[in-house]
Amino acid sequence: MAAVSNAVRVPMGDSADVALAAAGDRQAFERLYRTHANRVYSICARMSGSRVRGEELTQDVFVRTWEKLPQFRGDSAFSTWLHRLAVNVVLNARKSEGKQASRTEESDVEDDRRDEMSRAPLHIERMDLKNAIANLPDGARKVFVLHDVEGYKHEEIAEMMGITSGGSKAQLHRARLLLREALER
Amino acid sequence: MTNSNMTCEAFDAALPDYLEGTLAEPLRTTVAKHLSECVRCASLVRDLEKIQKDAAALPDLVPARDLWQGIEARIAAPVIPLAARPDRQRRFVPAWMGVAAAALIVSTAGITYLLTAHAFQNGNSTIATLTPSATQSNPAQTSGGSDNGAAQTPATTPSEAVAPAAQSGGTVSRVARTAPLETRAGTQTRLVRGEQSEVVYGREIDMLQKILTDRKSQLDSSTVAIIERNLRIIDAAIEQSKTALAKDPASRLLTDQLTHALDKKVELLRTAALLPAST
Repeated sequence: MAAVSNAVRVPMGDSADVALAAAGDRQAFERLYRTHANRVYSICARMSGSRVRGEELTQDVFVRTWEKLPQFRGDSAFSTWLHRLAVNVVLNARKSEGKQASRTEESDVEDDRRDEMSRAPLHIERMDLKNAIANLPDGARKVFVLHDVEGYKHEEIAEMMGITSGGSKAQLHRARLLLREALER
Repeated sequence: MTNSNMTCEAFDAALPDYLEGTLAEPLRTTVAKHLSECVRCASLVRDLEKIQKDAAALPDLVPARDLWQGIEARIAAPVIPLAARPDRQRRFVPAWMGVAAAALIVSTAGITYLLTAHAFQNGNSTIATLTPSATQSNPAQTSGGSDNGAAQTPATTPSEAVAPAAQSGGTVSRVARTAPLETRAGTQTRLVRGEQSEVVYGREIDMLQKILTDRKSQLDSSTVAIIERNLRIIDAAIEQSKTALAKDPASRLLTDQLTHALDKKVELLRTAALLPAST
């Protein structure tokens, strides 16, 4: 089942479009965008904890991809390269910007939800995993998304985030415990 | 709770590695045994493993809007690399123009020098050059000028070594704090105040302004626009300082502000006068 899912996620026609886009073909690049937009958006939205911020970051990722595409040498699958680029764009996004946007936008998305929850009886105040991830502290959320959702190894996460492998493990465990607590409420 | 010789606290400490599958024997066996006996820890592991499994199976999110238009607009914005810029034909600029500009600048610097030197020789106590000897002779009065590095530049001619104001004390520290009008021709630092300074600045500004006016056609129009916009800002600052000084002539802050603004104007005009002709 997982293999089928992966096959859908990594389309066969990428290489031709990658070559065309690298040469400046915008239509080919749009096809690449259409193919990978949701995966990239998922990374951006989950790592930033905000859907609106995720949209901005997704645009940044594809603009960056367009700029860097001529440097793509095909050492790895295009999707692997693209997802790594997306992670780097999110991690390099200015922290202050991220925080500010995250608060503002989260409040956009979450305010309605909170309003609903405040009116609902306590016993049905149950958060789903998606929202619980969004409410994690920044560092724990990023590590959790990279490890448990995206499947990166601690060593890779440590390198990307500029932390130690042990730090990544500790953040992951903290994130899981916080999620359990949130989901149990 | 204690089971199988392992406390729940010890289990908690081993849990991250257990979940990672990196727990070495014999600890792994001990943990497994504890799990088979402790409801609390078994429940914790079950929950965490479920979170892990659910997270891996999360479906892709879909943006609420099509983001392509924004991306396309950004990648379509023309980016002209410097190397790819069209090779505009170089406009011929006669060599004499550059020489004339340089000569004018040197002459204005010379006039500045002469005027300030003249004012000093007349015993005008508003002109002073702070020297190491002045500082040493009256440290209490000059300490206020120590934050101005330029004011500590030694004078290069004997006549400037110790100004009357410095010898008599009183106004040295106040004068030393004013921003200097530094001539490009020499390295001396001159501290000018009052009407005399306005005359000096005025002459220099007028001459430099004339050079800029003459050279306008040779410069890039956008550069000229920026220079003129900045000049208007500086002029506004000068006017504000003058107006405020008229109400409070003794204000050192306002005097400093005016001098600073005048210096800025001279500096900008000099820079503009020396700009190479646009290609």
